[in-house]
Amino acid sequence: MHRLAFSKADTAKFISHLDLMRTFQRSFLRAGIAIKHTEGFNPHAFVSIPLPLSVGFSSSCEVLECQVLDTPLDQVPARMNAALPAGITVQRCYEGTRPVKELGFVNYIVTMEYEAGAPYGTESAIRDLLAQKSLVMEKRSKKAKSGKVEVDLIPLIRQATVEERRDTIALDLILKAQNPGLNPELIMAAIRQHCPDASPDYVSYHRRAVLDENLQLWE
Amino acid sequence: MNRTLEHILPRVQKPARYTGGEYNAVVKDRRSVDVRYALCFPDTYEIGMSNLGMRILYGVMNEMEGVWCERVFAPWLDMEEEMRREGILLYGLESGDAISDFDLIGFSLGYEMAYTNVLNMLDLAGLPLRSEERCDLAPIVVAGGTCAYNPEPLAPFVDLFVLGEGEEVSQDIIHLYRKARDEYWTKEEFLAAAAQIPGVYVPSLYEVTYGPDGTLASVTPLEEAPAVVTKRIVQDFSHSYFPVKTIVPSTEIVHDRVMLELFRGCIRGCRFCQAGYAYRPVRARDPEILIQQGIEACKDSGYQEMTMSSLSTSDYRPLEHLCDGLLEWCEPNKVSLSLPSLRADNFSLGLMERVQHVRKSGLTFAPEAGTQRLRDAINKNLTEEEILRSCRTAFSGGWSSVKLYFMLGLPTETDEDVLGIADLAEKVYQAWKETTPNPKRGVTITVSTAWFVPKPHTAFQWEPQISMEEYQRRVKLLRDHMRGRSIRYNWHDSQTSFLEAVFARGDRKVAEVIETAWRSGAKFDAWSEGFDFDRWLEAFSACGVNPAFYANRVRDKDERFPWDVTSVGVSRQFLWRERERAYAASTTPDCRTQCSGCGANHFCPGGKCDA
Repeated sequence: MHRLAFSKADTAKFISHLDLMRTFQRSFLRAGIAIKHTEGFNPHAFVSIPLPLSVGFSSSCEVLECQVLDTPLDQVPARMNAALPAGITVQRCYEGTRPVKELGFVNYIVTMEYEAGAPYGTESAIRDLLAQKSLVMEKRSKKAKSGKVEVDLIPLIRQATVEERRDTIALDLILKAQNPGLNPELIMAAIRQHCPDASPDYVSYHRRAVLDENLQLWE
Repeated sequence: MNRTLEHILPRVQKPARYTGGEYNAVVKDRRSVDVRYALCFPDTYEIGMSNLGMRILYGVMNEMEGVWCERVFAPWLDMEEEMRREGILLYGLESGDAISDFDLIGFSLGYEMAYTNVLNMLDLAGLPLRSEERCDLAPIVVAGGTCAYNPEPLAPFVDLFVLGEGEEVSQDIIHLYRKARDEYWTKEEFLAAAAQIPGVYVPSLYEVTYGPDGTLASVTPLEEAPAVVTKRIVQDFSHSYFPVKTIVPSTEIVHDRVMLELFRGCIRGCRFCQAGYAYRPVRARDPEILIQQGIEACKDSGYQEMTMSSLSTSDYRPLEHLCDGLLEWCEPNKVSLSLPSLRADNFSLGLMERVQHVRKSGLTFAPEAGTQRLRDAINKNLTEEEILRSCRTAFSGGWSSVKLYFMLGLPTETDEDVLGIADLAEKVYQAWKETTPNPKRGVTITVSTAWFVPKPHTAFQWEPQISMEEYQRRVKLLRDHMRGRSIRYNWHDSQTSFLEAVFARGDRKVAEVIETAWRSGAKFDAWSEGFDFDRWLEAFSACGVNPAFYANRVRDKDERFPWDVTSVGVSRQFLWRERERAYAASTTPDCRTQCSGCGANHFCPGGKCDA
């Protein structure tokens, strides 16, 4: 299995997961890079992206899995970058060795913006909130009958630092990646709910790194 | 990307529609261009990006030195709300710049129900709606497309209309605009000069008066504007621009595939069909060129689907040769080819089998009317036997779903014709029973009826639309006679078809109604999310305009029509002759069998058209 390490920024942040898969399938064809297809009635290029990124998030550490058939791997990034839409850049193409299940944590930078500067005490209020023993939030669920399920965020947060800058507060978060993973939007929802004064005017989310169980880079 | 935009996009549905940045989107350096053109489609991104005409004009204009053409679509309701709240003006997708600062703003008018979106987009751009209130030379508001063949309902809002095919005339307008700007002309000076470009209609240069009965009394051209503006066509269609390199959206659109245009025009002459008359004469593209363009477009885009689009694809003479040439490349490259709009009469199963060998999707036929008499009256030269033969061939080849399209309310239609639709559906079902190799699988026959809308420049331009009550009665009549579980019946909503009939043959008085309705919130009228019929009824009554005058009135033979100021090259005498033949249920042969003297041959060199 080969992996393409790519980033997603600017306009491409708003391409959804499914659209991104389709975009990659077409980009391989445009680049003239043959990849393995699914068998069956209606064969299509086999590609998969392990941790779907929420629409609107930027990322510098996305991974796409596929099987490159006969293009030398070192040629793949340049050829793909000429074929991809603006904002998606392939950095590397390599033989993937570590299984996806070893993908343990994700590092996010959440930037909370305040037009008039963060209100006094915001930073410590958030810090205190995330330092609680437990922080239960309701989350939408497709499986639960009620359509909702309760999740305790604290066990899913491995590390959280809060840093105030001029008119922003940056959260540097290391969150569980899967089974179950934690979407930083849920932490934002908790902040809005429990510290309404700390509610920012705008939040941006950036995925900075994917890590293994020992918080080392996963590739 | 604009920061405010970045802030609002996470809150709207399908934000990828509003970002630009797609593969092959044309991004130029602002400093290297002197003309900025906003190519606007008054509907959503998914619909507008599926429009081949948009892609052609985008390519044509961006190939021009110093011109940057950008795309603009109607933001969906949620996005509009956010834009208005945050004070974001309507912007070009490529640059993100507000289109109010552009030189020209061009709208593609494909269907009447998008008219309010034109007004809404002007307003979202921060521009006054009315041409007379926009005093500067820039931006010039242009509109073209099928609806421009009756430009009057939008006359007060649009500076100039382009009639016919836009490839060449768009360039003429840009050249003239450049001259006007460089020589400091006023807008009025520019418009008067633009009116001299063949195919350009400048509504402000025509004074219109109405008689006591509400019909047009006189139309006086000013500033030497032509009394009748004749549409433009591309003479050499084989070598006219085709977008081999075209934008590949990063989000799914309606027609997400390579579209090949085999020919323009149609030889058939169906009497209700505006496209059939308005796109004459027939001009075909050379099959070798099509094969090459199709293959290159697939390679460039990464699309794995190609479709052949034209009014009646099976009338393309070298169709087999074209399919062979394309399939030779498509099959090994896993690209699927589809053939829409095949006529049932020369439907060739062999062709369909070869083309759609992967999936046996449904078959679609459009008999349009339920009885032979009515099909003759509308000149849909298709017999019941031909339909059934095609169905039998298809069913024995394993197809198990058929869609049949009809219209209700066609001129001369009787209850017998209405019930004929149910009979035909039943016969199609019997044909399936007799021929299917696998009866256990069952069959789905979908019958859809639309409500006939009389259109300008057709043989039925004089005809009334039947009343809404009568339409509903006929729907009910048909519904009560549709039997059998295998037959599904869908009918078209009556309210939008009624308004379509008003706008299609509307005059400048209708413009007031459109503006009034828009002011009370009308937009996205082609969508159930946007449409509110009561709002329209209120607008009509507020303006003192009776919609039935436009939709349901029988016109005199010699009445002066609002669209008489435009010509598609087909003579009024010919259309009247066709109307009379309709009432005699007498057919007119297709253009290939015999020329009927419609007049469109005058567009061809030497007056000889190549049907």
